[in-house]
Amino acid sequence: MDFGLTKDQELIRKSIREFFEKECPKEKIRELKTDKKGYDPKMWKKLADLGYMGLVIPEEYSGAEGSFLDLMIVMEEIGRNIVPGPFFTTVCQSAPAIEKFGTPVQKKNLLKKIAEKGEITSYAVNEAKADYSAADIQLAATPQGDGFVLNGVKLFVPYANSATHLLVAGRTKKSENPEEGVTLFLVDAKSKGIEIEEIPTAARDMKCEVRFANVGVSKENVVGEIDKGWQIVDYVLQYGAVLKSAEMSGGVQAALDIATRYAKERYQFGKPIGSFQSLQHRLVNMLTEVDGLKNLVYEAAWYMDQGKPDTMLNSMVKVKANNVYHRVCYDAVYIHGAIGWTEEMDISLYLLRSKANENDCGANGVHKERIAMELDRYEPLFLSMRA
Amino acid sequence: MDFKFDDKAEELRKKIREFVKDNIPTDIKMGLFVDEHYDEDWAFAMETAKKLSDIGWLTMSWPKEHCGMGASVWERVVMGEESGYWGIPGMGMGVSGTAWVGPSLMLFGTEEQKKKYLPKIASGEDDGVWCTGYSEPDSGSDLASLQCSAKRVGDEYIINGQKVWNSAGHRARWCWLACRTDPNAKRKHDGISLIIVDLQSPGVTIRPIPNIIGAHVFNELFFKDVHVPAENLVGKENNGWAQLMQALAFERGVAISSSAMTRRMLDELIHYAKETGAFAKPEIRHKLVDLAIDIKTLRILAMEAAWKVAKGEMVIHEPSRDKALNDLILEKVGQIGTEIIGAFAQVDPLEKNAGLQRLRGLMEWIYFSTPGMWAAAGTTDTNRNIVAQFGLGLPRGY
Ligand SMILES: Cc1cc2nc3c(=O)[nH]c(=O)nc-3n(C[C@H](O)[C@H](O)[C@H](O)COP(=O)(O)OP(=O)(O)OC[C@H]3O[C@@H](n4cnc5c(N)ncnc54)[C@H](O)[C@@H]3O)c2cc1C
Repeated sequence: MDFGLTKDQELIRKSIREFFEKECPKEKIRELKTDKKGYDPKMWKKLADLGYMGLVIPEEYSGAEGSFLDLMIVMEEIGRNIVPGPFFTTVCQSAPAIEKFGTPVQKKNLLKKIAEKGEITSYAVNEAKADYSAADIQLAATPQGDGFVLNGVKLFVPYANSATHLLVAGRTKKSENPEEGVTLFLVDAKSKGIEIEEIPTAARDMKCEVRFANVGVSKENVVGEIDKGWQIVDYVLQYGAVLKSAEMSGGVQAALDIATRYAKERYQFGKPIGSFQSLQHRLVNMLTEVDGLKNLVYEAAWYMDQGKPDTMLNSMVKVKANNVYHRVCYDAVYIHGAIGWTEEMDISLYLLRSKANENDCGANGVHKERIAMELDRYEPLFLSMRA
Repeated sequence: MDFKFDDKAEELRKKIREFVKDNIPTDIKMGLFVDEHYDEDWAFAMETAKKLSDIGWLTMSWPKEHCGMGASVWERVVMGEESGYWGIPGMGMGVSGTAWVGPSLMLFGTEEQKKKYLPKIASGEDDGVWCTGYSEPDSGSDLASLQCSAKRVGDEYIINGQKVWNSAGHRARWCWLACRTDPNAKRKHDGISLIIVDLQSPGVTIRPIPNIIGAHVFNELFFKDVHVPAENLVGKENNGWAQLMQALAFERGVAISSSAMTRRMLDELIHYAKETGAFAKPEIRHKLVDLAIDIKTLRILAMEAAWKVAKGEMVIHEPSRDKALNDLILEKVGQIGTEIIGAFAQVDPLEKNAGLQRLRGLMEWIYFSTPGMWAAAGTTDTNRNIVAQFGLGLPRGY
């Protein structure tokens, strides 16, 4: 057992943390809330030049072929500094899907451009229910000529307005089991018939509604097998759930630090408020939650890294992240008193992301059912002793 | 990073499971403080302790020269996990001896003390059973205020005073006693010493305290002019507080075995809930899922702390962090467990072979034990105080 990072991993953490501290101070995050793009293309370019966009992309597509753990570290740091941008949707969702299920041509076209130029691909899966269920995928993909025509609406598509491509889950067949008949398409975001509109989210973290009206896609742009796309969605859900949890883990580590610092600096009744036991115990419970989440993420990420994903653990981690993110941000705001409830304080930026984080890659309902399914199948260890 | 155990530790796990298969009944009534009440349960625990000792597992982490195996941190962790999951009784022989008296003696004891006491503990015999005398009627969380006195007279200490809540006191031969050797010290933390007392000495009275369900797990100890040879002083006179803190850190490292014990409870519950059909109800299965996540969290925290120990780092607040979390999990196990058992949870868990007990009464046992576990080894909140001070660097507020 070893919870430590390698020297190289420590270096990644240090470099990326310093990069964000310098390039993405909190004032900039506030400015970006009203920006049309919602991210900083200049910083994005630098990030690509430094190789972070291609961090886990294979070398043959100009990537650094880093490990899942490397990517996890970057996500933790993105969360710690709440860096706005299309990193997650491009690097943690779209690219892995293409790498695992895409054709050689798709890989060459897309992965290379992501790694070299930081081109943005957005993952478009949510629709009217937006609950990561197979039944939610209703966008019609009708065969026409030697391709398909897409009609429907995708919701909460991150940074779709800046994307060159959209990775879209559509329905090619209606069947009793909604997991059958899902197909993924790599769609040029500038295609005729696509309309993109920003959804005003509380965090202003650039989520879009994308409407498809008779949008043509050629057969070459099908990712994976026709009708068998659910396994890709499921793969991305798990891959993304661990990395989203890493981001949330980084976020609550920062929130705890901010709250602890404030508790030492703010005086009432002639004493630092951090000497009041009720606040101390609140902070201690936060610390326990933060430590717990952090280490669970590490464990899940390590199994991913080994190529042996632990599906139950992945879902546990996301539920844990959802619960901890809420608890810690709420309590951190409370510890600030009234000023915590203002736009001015950094802690507010963390809380504002809670609902997006909670629902991205699956809220508790989705994951608890997945865990329950695993538990239902599971043969308890103690039975092995009973002859 | 690496989240697998090394081969040696996994090899040990296999051997332990073979031992369990041959020696531990699958329907053992396991849990917290289950061995001390009935004579036959205690006898079985001691019989098992002897077998564990023969293999070398009872005190496996001790160095070879002190009858241990010099086991690695990870082997110890595996032993903790397996003994928690299978409910191997006798691992602690009333806990104190193997878990903190031995390790403390190795740190602070004289050569004579090590030679005299360590082999007795490691051999798993009745003479190796210890109890701990810290708490007093007026000194609980504020342990440093303790008053039980030890006066040096010639080459003896004369002990006078009272101790309380002494787990396994009625099964023990020795008491690991904290007492006041300097009543005039300026700070209450100074002037405390640790002294070994033979409970067969004249002047010692032991009285049982029935716990909330009438089980006899702890006692009151009265000392009236008890003569103890001065050589029974552990470490330096009046330096007991620092030594005590070290011993308490050993005591609070319960999370490994407890997370495995609660996982066993969870496994039993899920199995039971599937058989009764309760698992099909979302409100039940989601509670079990939540519990599974909590237990997984406790386990990974305990592993992280063990990793720090393995690296040679001092762990100060981590055992307290994990103790407090464990306390919350115990409550949930008991609550969800008794909910799933339903009306049968009102059957007395102490009763042997009560036909209407479900899951051997484990769930109501843990339900009624939990508040006691909250107090034992420092209360949940006093452990949180420690995390606040040492984990977060917050100013002491009381
Ligand atoms: C099952 C069991 C086994 C035990 N075994 C032993 C044993 O073998 N040997 C031994 O010496 N002792 C033993 N104890 C005693 C145990 O160590 C004490 O119960 C514990 O230290 C608390 O002391 P107390 O019970 O006097 O409670 P008190 O200290 O009176 O506490 C009462 C309440 O006040 C709270 N409180 C007190 N101080 C603070 C503070 N500073 N901040 C916040 N809250 C506070 C506590 O959390 C608690 O809720 C055992 C107890 C139990 C239940």
